[in-house]
Amino acid sequence: MLSIKNLHVSIEDKAILKGLNLEIAAGEVHAVMGPNGSGKSTLSHVLAGREGYEITDGEVLFNGEDLLSLEPEQRARLGIFLGMQYPVELPGVNNMTFMRESLNAVRRGRGEAELDAVAFMKRVREKAKLVELDDRLLKRSVNAGFSGGEKKRNEILQMAMLEPQLAILDETDSGLDIDALRVISGGVNALRSPDRSIILITHYQRLLDYIQPDFVHVLVDGRIVRSGDKQLALELEKKGYGWIEEEAAA
Amino acid sequence: MSTTVEAQRAWFEQAIDQAQGDLPGQDLEWLQQTRAHARRAIGTLPVPNRKSEEWRYTAIEGLLKNSFQTPAGEADAARVLEAGGWLEPDYPAYRVMIVNGRCIADASQTAGLPEGATVGSLRTALATDPELLGTWFGQAAAHTDHLFTALNTALINDGIFLHLEPGVVLDRPVEVVYLSLGQEQAPLTQPRNLVVLENGASATLVERFIGPGDALYFHNGVTELALRDGAVLKHYRVQDESRNAYHLSSLYLTQDRNSLYQGTTLAFGGAWARTDYQAVFKEEGARCELGGLYTVGDRQLTDFHLDVRHNVPDCSSREQFKGILYGKGRGVFDGRILVEKQAQHSDAHLSNDNLLLTENGEIDTKPQLEIYADDVKCSHGTTVGQIDPQQMFYLRSRGIDADAARRMLCLGFAGEVIDAIEVPELREYASQRLVATLNQSIQAAE
Amino acid sequence: MSSQQQTVDELIRSDYEHGFVTAIESDTVPPGLNESVIRTISAKKNEPEWMLTLRLQAYQHWLTMEHPDWAHVQHPPIDFQAVSYYSAPKRKEDGPQSLDEVDPQLLDAYNKLGIPLEEQKALAGVAVDAVFDSVSVATTFRKNLADVGVIFCSMSEAVQEYPELVQKYLGTVVPYKDNFFACLNAAVFTDGTFVYIPEGVRCPMELSTYFRINEANTGQFERTLIIAEAGSHVSYLEGCTAPMRDENQLHAAVVELIVMDDAKIKYSTVQNWYPGDAEGRGGIYNFVTKRGDCRGARSHISWTQVETGSAITWKYPSCILRGDDSVGEFYSVAVTRGMQQADTGTKMIHLGRNTRSTIVSKGISAGRGQNTYRGLVRMTPRAENARNHSQCDSLLIGDRCGAHTFPYIEVRNPTAKVEHEATTSKIGDDQLFYCRQRGLSEEDAVSMIVNGFCKEVFNELPMEFAVEAQKLLNLTLEGAVG
Repeated sequence: MLSIKNLHVSIEDKAILKGLNLEIAAGEVHAVMGPNGSGKSTLSHVLAGREGYEITDGEVLFNGEDLLSLEPEQRARLGIFLGMQYPVELPGVNNMTFMRESLNAVRRGRGEAELDAVAFMKRVREKAKLVELDDRLLKRSVNAGFSGGEKKRNEILQMAMLEPQLAILDETDSGLDIDALRVISGGVNALRSPDRSIILITHYQRLLDYIQPDFVHVLVDGRIVRSGDKQLALELEKKGYGWIEEEAAA
Repeated sequence: MSTTVEAQRAWFEQAIDQAQGDLPGQDLEWLQQTRAHARRAIGTLPVPNRKSEEWRYTAIEGLLKNSFQTPAGEADAARVLEAGGWLEPDYPAYRVMIVNGRCIADASQTAGLPEGATVGSLRTALATDPELLGTWFGQAAAHTDHLFTALNTALINDGIFLHLEPGVVLDRPVEVVYLSLGQEQAPLTQPRNLVVLENGASATLVERFIGPGDALYFHNGVTELALRDGAVLKHYRVQDESRNAYHLSSLYLTQDRNSLYQGTTLAFGGAWARTDYQAVFKEEGARCELGGLYTVGDRQLTDFHLDVRHNVPDCSSREQFKGILYGKGRGVFDGRILVEKQAQHSDAHLSNDNLLLTENGEIDTKPQLEIYADDVKCSHGTTVGQIDPQQMFYLRSRGIDADAARRMLCLGFAGEVIDAIEVPELREYASQRLVATLNQSIQAAE
Repeated sequence: MSSQQQTVDELIRSDYEHGFVTAIESDTVPPGLNESVIRTISAKKNEPEWMLTLRLQAYQHWLTMEHPDWAHVQHPPIDFQAVSYYSAPKRKEDGPQSLDEVDPQLLDAYNKLGIPLEEQKALAGVAVDAVFDSVSVATTFRKNLADVGVIFCSMSEAVQEYPELVQKYLGTVVPYKDNFFACLNAAVFTDGTFVYIPEGVRCPMELSTYFRINEANTGQFERTLIIAEAGSHVSYLEGCTAPMRDENQLHAAVVELIVMDDAKIKYSTVQNWYPGDAEGRGGIYNFVTKRGDCRGARSHISWTQVETGSAITWKYPSCILRGDDSVGEFYSVAVTRGMQQADTGTKMIHLGRNTRSTIVSKGISAGRGQNTYRGLVRMTPRAENARNHSQCDSLLIGDRCGAHTFPYIEVRNPTAKVEHEATTSKIGDDQLFYCRQRGLSEEDAVSMIVNGFCKEVFNELPMEFAVEAQKLLNLTLEGAVG
């Protein structure tokens, strides 16, 4: 489904990703771990098409299509969802209106009919239960004045609504207490399916206790220096990133 | 109407024509031309009145009712020392004493300055270093920005000259005391200052403006400040003029790449006191921080006009001004942030907060944003109000009497501005000065 | 960025929707201004002597006044002799007695504007007074209103039928000496709307006036007077359009509101006069004086405006908060694009105790538009415990426009409390990216964010108007974004 080959990315002439390779097949859950500044968030932003990154080499194919030449909304309509580390606030923009516009834009992109108001409402309420999101938050402005946990629930709710093929969850666990982490993980797990792939970007092993990954990759200094299964994450938890950085440098 | 305007214009012309004493640098052509140009401009510059935006709330009629005269020669050093008062607070500093607009060498102390540093009289510098002065004069100040600047320029005589060669860092603050002494003929004192910090130079400059008791005089100072690449200037100004004094300070600041200017002005005294700041960013990466505190009691008008001009990209400015009004007086604040079309990534914020402690006070505040570039972060905020009754109640419920509570809350209100002063003795002095003012206000309220 | 710029440009270029000219035979006084023109206007309207005297007084004073130059706008000098001060659609009889008698072409013009009188009458129960060029052509629903004692008619009719009310109130809020344009208006106003709500009456429907300038070289100088007696309540809406013409047209209106004890007037405007073309040719000069006088205790005036049109907008709907506990509100969205200039805001003059005012201003600049908020909050010594809160936000779209904020705050009472905040920024890159990541096109994302930015103001509009305003905003911004 997703194929990243030799990806090099710079920000203002500073190289961040230095030849990253990653293959993800349908239905797989990949965890990408790494120390601060290793390029995890850059990877998620580049996949979603955020401006300000210069692709100096390499390619990214999504279902065989060149992803890097597409606008962010085109990627979204192809089924790429980025759950953000810091979801953005949109003052005055009603959360429901926003989700409805978003869902219908994506549905149009998929060649599906738009949902009418009744069907939309029904679906939102159903999905909101999944992440235990308070109904009142649906009526407020998007993320405006939401707590950290509420913002992350709102992200997963949007993921549930949009039914992406590839969900990239960027530090979805950051800033969550244990209950919120459980709820959000439950939401993500419920969305696992054979035709949906997930990239979990995280700092800590903790999240992986709740969402079991098929593969774990360690990103150091812009490259994946080691890949393995869940065991690798546990090893990192015990030994920290130091040993692997040394190995990578050697 | 027009006869009034002409009479007002004549006031300026007379002030120039009746000035006594020799002007220095008569042999310097550029200086003579500058003075003559300013003298001519008096005839054409608009006379400030209520219809001019810049003078909307600050009438000059009261000022013009008096006639002031530029005193001849230097004041007597013995008399200066006798006047005292200016010795406090005491802390290690290079000191320059300016009395009625003229530097008094005998009362100044600049020994031990590092190499590459010049601190002293402008009059002296005109004789010893005319070329350097010629290069910098008028770079920052439009000599004819308004009538008062022109008046100062037409009679350029003395003031301070502070120049630091590249990389020179002063180990102690420079303190300049402007003492105005009353005379039979009320003096017009017009210091003209030039401060130039070359690349990477750094200094702290303290200016204090004082006058004894109820002396009547008009201080009309003009200061040009130029900060070159990476230069840092911390500039603290304490305006403690006499009860009857008229005071106008016009400051013109230009900043080159990555320079930093931090200026704090505390305005306590004067009957009519105004400070005009014009700050212009000439190169990228510079930062300007202006702070101010003003207290306004009976028969006082205190005015601040700020004009911060973002002409180039990537500069930032912060202005924070606080006023406490405690008598039948008027506070005026006007703060403009201008962001020109090319000045992308400008970051500017201005705030002006005012406490009205008693009836009969008036505050007129006018923050302004004038923005022609889109990728900017600009904002301003203004508040006017009295002390929060809930806070008062909280303090009193803890056993603090009302006066002490009020004083405490006012000090807290002003704290942010005073705390920015990095010279401990001066900071302490400023707090005490504020407390004294507040005690006056408490008496006024009773 | 570049694609953003592209969209912005497209949006800015989108056409003026109401730019049709209606071919109607009209009775127009030749251009020029002198005493005899004023006498002609007065005679055509069959006015009483006192009205003519008022006009001539104003005219004499106007001759001594100078065109104001303090606003942040630029335009060539206006030739007041090139303007025609009276234009009325010609009618076969003396005038229509009901809608059926109104010239069908005129009704058609309103239909094109999307405000069919008939339909509105049926659907919304909105009573509409329509001012076409200088005269009021139709007032719907007069009878239903008359049943509860509400007077809703054209100013001309009011002068004839309720002279004592007009004489008592006209010019008491905006005296002719007030300013240059108000003075001109007092001399030459041709029509407008008159509303009188008797004591204790809650007006049973929204009242509405649509203004349209049709004739070339015509100035429109309407005069609106609304009086809300004690305990009454009315919501009034006005909408404005004009055809596309190459020359500039002048609109200098005066609106006066008078509110007595416990009464409330809610005054909403959607202003969409022709803004001129992309190069700044043509367009309306909209120099309007609007002021409300909260004379009674606990009286309440709420101004809401959505200003998307006009080459130049110069208006400051204001409140004189005279009565104790009176309330003034000003909610504004002003959009400038192309070469449009707006200098708009409000004055809140707090005279009474416990008076409260709220100012919410949202300025949007695109293209080469210049958008200025100018406002005054004055707390006088008597205004014990008065409160004001102001929030002025500006949004810049593209790097050739300007946004300016000039608040004046004057406080002379220690118990008064004033808070003013202003921000200027562009649409956040992160906000745009967030929306696009969820599949929205750049243009939709911008429209959504801008609508969110204006939400607080739109919320103040009556429902139908809010929908229209939002449509208008989207249309105005169409293609403008990035």
